[in-house]
Amino acid sequence: MNNKLDIKVAIQAAPFSMDYGYDDALAGRSDIGAVVSFTGLVRDFNESPDVTGLTLEHYPGMTERTLTEIGEQAWQRWSLQAVRIIHRVGYLEPGDPIVRVLVASAHRREAFEACDFIMDYLKTQAPFWKKEHSSQGEYWVKERHSDQQDAARWE
Amino acid sequence: MHLTHLNTRGEANMVDVGDKQETHREAVASGRIIMQPETLKLLSDGELPKGDVLATARIAGIQAAKRTHELIPLCHSLALSKVSVEFDIDVAESCVHVTSLCRLNGRTGVEMEALTAVSVACLTLYDMCKAVDKGMRIEAIQLDSKQGGQRGDYQRMSAQAPIVTGDGVAGEVSLGERCPSPCVRVKFLAELRERVGESETVVSLDQLASRDIGGLKAALAEQDSRFKQLTDQRTLCAINQVMANDDALVTDDDEVAFFPPVTGG
Repeated sequence: MNNKLDIKVAIQAAPFSMDYGYDDALAGRSDIGAVVSFTGLVRDFNESPDVTGLTLEHYPGMTERTLTEIGEQAWQRWSLQAVRIIHRVGYLEPGDPIVRVLVASAHRREAFEACDFIMDYLKTQAPFWKKEHSSQGEYWVKERHSDQQDAARWE
Repeated sequence: MHLTHLNTRGEANMVDVGDKQETHREAVASGRIIMQPETLKLLSDGELPKGDVLATARIAGIQAAKRTHELIPLCHSLALSKVSVEFDIDVAESCVHVTSLCRLNGRTGVEMEALTAVSVACLTLYDMCKAVDKGMRIEAIQLDSKQGGQRGDYQRMSAQAPIVTGDGVAGEVSLGERCPSPCVRVKFLAELRERVGESETVVSLDQLASRDIGGLKAALAEQDSRFKQLTDQRTLCAINQVMANDDALVTDDDEVAFFPPVTGG
């Protein structure tokens, strides 16, 4: 089994595929027993009932650094074999994939928990901001208390 | 709607701006140059024969903005207070995005200066890389936004709306000009940027009663009441892209960002 640190993060405006990271994480390996991935999509309802799109801003440099650090924290807490994180920025429409986290491990429990942990920390720490567009106009999305509570579960 | 650069006989006419009020003017323009992935790699690795491509193109863009009135017949010469030219290397699209911001207090807009800076920076990128790639394309040179002036603000609405609030790309040290005396560069991101109506400012360290984030917030609030909202508990702060609290110390040339709670994912 190979536990060499294998974390990759990507920020891009272009769409990514629904199996992003899978082939790359598993290439040439047969010691991986579990792959858990999470894909987040843009919903057409959120703070208003008719979201037509959203614009995602980020803080280049800090974003990549923060996501890498979150991956490294997961690496320390669980026995992992690969972590892939990709997040889109720019203009997105309902149904578009916005974020994807993939975790590979020898066993499922660690992969499930680490993926959950990375998403909770990404939502509360990574410098992204959403502005939603609707027929009523556009507005900045407010942070959610429940996201903070979710992240606090890991303390 | 009429064209002010034409007089009643339809002849070219330089507009008399003497009676206009001096206001804060700002314009942002952008464009891109598309090239072969191999060329882009040579560029980002600094292995092109003509040397540091981005630094050269940045200076070319800044110089061009200052000389816009010599190139565009009916443009006034302006005493610009700021010109910045930034590059974003986009591996996915195999291009370099060029963005310029021009600013002044004056009687006429600065969009021609911003557009000229982007155009000449793109041309310089072409010149610096043409030895290895003649098929490069310069595209989508456009005004993204302007502020100030009697016609009010303009913001381009499209999928290409500004998506980033910082300068530079990951791992790249921004080559923004340094201030003559010790200072910190302050950025306002996302909703906070819209609420204070400004994306960045520079604060001299001499203005700080205490050289920490608390002191910086106090100095900004004294400068302008808009900045009082920085003391809001929701407002977050990072020094050189690492989260910081009010007691964190600031030193010369630090980049300090203020922003609202994050909402990604």
